[in-house]
Amino acid sequence: MKSHRCEFAPSEILPTLGWPLLVVGAFVLGLHAAIRFHAVPAPRPALDTERTILLHQADAAGKSPPGLPGGRPSLLLLGDSSCLTDVSARQLSDALGQPVLNLGTFSFLDLNAHARLVEEFVRHHGAVPAAVVLLMHPEALRRLDGEPFYMEALTDYLAGRDHCQTETWWENMECWLGLEAWRGRVLARCLPVPLAGAYGKRFGFNRDLERFLDAEHGSVVDPELQPLTGSKEYRLAPGLERASARFRAAVPRGTKLLAGITPVAESLAPRSFKSQRDEMLQRWGQWLHADGLLATLPAQWPDDQFARSTHLRESAVSDYTKILARALRDQFEQRAAAKGGL
Amino acid sequence: MLFNSGVFLQFFAAFLLFYWLVRNHLRARNVLVLGASYLFYGWWDWRFLILLFFSSSFDFVVGLSLGQLTDPRQRRWVLCASIVVNLVILGFFKYYNFFLASFVELFGRLQLPFLPGTLVIILPVGISFYTFQSMSYAIDVYRGQLQPTRNFINFLSYVSFFPQLVAGPIERASHLLPQFEKTVSITRPMLEEGVWLMLWGLFKKVVVADNLAPLADLAFGQSSHTAASVALGTLAFAFQIYGDFSGYSDIARGSARVLGFDIMWNFDLPYAARNLRDFWRRWHISLSTWLRDYLYISLGGNRRGPARTYVNLALTMGLGGLWHGAAWNFVVWGLWHGLGLCLQRAWHVHRARVATPPAPLTSAPTPTLTHTLNLTPTPTLRPMLRLLSWLATLLFVLYGWLLFRANSWHHIQSMTRACFHWSAPVWASSFALTLAAFSTPLILMELWQVRRRDRLVSLTLPPRWRGLLQGALLCGILLFWEKKQLAFIYFQF
Repeated sequence: MKSHRCEFAPSEILPTLGWPLLVVGAFVLGLHAAIRFHAVPAPRPALDTERTILLHQADAAGKSPPGLPGGRPSLLLLGDSSCLTDVSARQLSDALGQPVLNLGTFSFLDLNAHARLVEEFVRHHGAVPAAVVLLMHPEALRRLDGEPFYMEALTDYLAGRDHCQTETWWENMECWLGLEAWRGRVLARCLPVPLAGAYGKRFGFNRDLERFLDAEHGSVVDPELQPLTGSKEYRLAPGLERASARFRAAVPRGTKLLAGITPVAESLAPRSFKSQRDEMLQRWGQWLHADGLLATLPAQWPDDQFARSTHLRESAVSDYTKILARALRDQFEQRAAAKGGL
Repeated sequence: MLFNSGVFLQFFAAFLLFYWLVRNHLRARNVLVLGASYLFYGWWDWRFLILLFFSSSFDFVVGLSLGQLTDPRQRRWVLCASIVVNLVILGFFKYYNFFLASFVELFGRLQLPFLPGTLVIILPVGISFYTFQSMSYAIDVYRGQLQPTRNFINFLSYVSFFPQLVAGPIERASHLLPQFEKTVSITRPMLEEGVWLMLWGLFKKVVVADNLAPLADLAFGQSSHTAASVALGTLAFAFQIYGDFSGYSDIARGSARVLGFDIMWNFDLPYAARNLRDFWRRWHISLSTWLRDYLYISLGGNRRGPARTYVNLALTMGLGGLWHGAAWNFVVWGLWHGLGLCLQRAWHVHRARVATPPAPLTSAPTPTLTHTLNLTPTPTLRPMLRLLSWLATLLFVLYGWLLFRANSWHHIQSMTRACFHWSAPVWASSFALTLAAFSTPLILMELWQVRRRDRLVSLTLPPRWRGLLQGALLCGILLFWEKKQLAFIYFQF
């Protein structure tokens, strides 16, 4: 007995299968043409929390600086996510009496990426900031290489390119069909993207997170509480010297470069960590050719002040910012006394 | 194996090729279907193939026994064995830890010591579906509604048929089993229907449901709620669960159609329902009819007086809720619908009594209560009443989804209280915009289907327009196809 009978000719089903594929083909061609002739906006794939923050900071550094009270920022904060979350740039502005912009991002971006942000700032503002403060966590200092995905995302964004990954055949297909371009250029701009996890609970959507970043001059808070885990071994990564030199080269002449290391949780600090931290800061400062070192910042803090191993809780940010403000004021006063001030 | 995965597309393409190769051999086709179905299921965890095989084999033997036995008592025992075995399997894998935890909590409140150990039990995907499907075969044979099959391969294929194995529809043997025993015809309309349903189903899953899932998670995951967040979150979940589940059912039916098989419709535009009974005739039809035929009627249905009818209704719906998951909020959801159905029934009984008053004792005409209360709606009033009854039904169903989706009793309480707290979170406008964007295509299509009273109204379009529509759906699917696929909600049931 036969299994089944096909009561149609192959040509009869061609329209059923063919028309949708034709439409997809026309869509792909149309999209590529639209990109070629600049009929669609430039890519801005703020499709998750990390990229939302990254692209916001890139915009803040370059083409869309936030309107800070007091005008163009004279002090830039750069560094990993501890810089992003531990310091309130708005509070720091008030304390120092000058506009401060936080361009902190993540530990999975390396110093090259931070250098790019400085270069973007200088290129778009046509003027140099008075000071750049580089803050990194010891966890980030013992690693050097950033995650390629985010490094490339930043580079592509600054170059106005679609960020296409081509590791798997499907990713290649997505690029070829223009799907990533559509997502980054059209979808991300038209529709708010809900954020996952704790960031979603706290901020809701990517646009709401960006509004928060604008209001806080580029700072954000860590909304989640996670157990403190990590190794107590801290060291400067090999290759950090070369990366630091690259960063220094990006800081324009006339801009003071100050370096600091953000605190670790007490339970994750080895004995006499402060002296170890000071040693690391000294050496790193030399590699950076830093104009000043923020050695008075605390090396460690109580565990209950941390949201996770590398970020302070929201309730601790104010106190830490006050300490940072004091440290910066001391530095500026020393410079002023030595050379006639900022 | 998920329908919305590259693996399934490759699997299905390979299956179609082999299906064409065995077109002249019925038995080979059924062996192919069985092998492919077991591969489909085993892709998730091959160990549970043993369970699927055991459950199917047991009911195959039960069917044969029922066909041989004539003594009513013996037949009843055999049927009981089938029901007990299936429910024990289902109960152990799905409800053991749930009931254990509930007993521990109960004993704790009574301050009685009870600390048993829990087991790490993996819930086999689709177990609620295939055990019910297998049980229905045994019950139908017992009732004499179906002749038992002697073909083991056909029976195994019926139970494990991959389009409907893991999330339904729960097929009746009288409908699906005969299709394995004959040559099926694949016509052009069937193929067109199959392709349409697969595309539309994937669109509902990949574009609508998967994009509304994070919205529902966001709203339901808040530590404090407002009326706006509860309303938006519930709406998002209502569209998510419908898009997800009906999407799966459409893909199931569509892929079966392409193979020449016919499986039942599991959804019939449920959000167009104007009363709860109508809703349950449109939502998860295979489960609601299963519960009606094998539970409600077995309990006596409406044949044992009004009080018992209401008890049967509530019990059926409560157990139907429990079927969905090992958590009390599912039971509460089921009982909520049970309550609604009871109230609807009571209202209908009351209206029927009022509309047909007893004959007057005197010959003089008396004004009837119908006229007095003007229960007959005028032509102008009728559309408004229809709209009101639709709205009331929808609101009832939406609150049910709140009960369904909430994490705990405390969560239900706080969200319900928040309905009276008239404020909105800062992200309300972003939420509303995204919700509108992803639900609009679904709403428009369903409105079109409701107006034309045809779920396949798109097939009436001229080929080019249909192609355009299907192309647009395909573009949407490609645009939102995620590298990391979200599982179907009903996989966890």
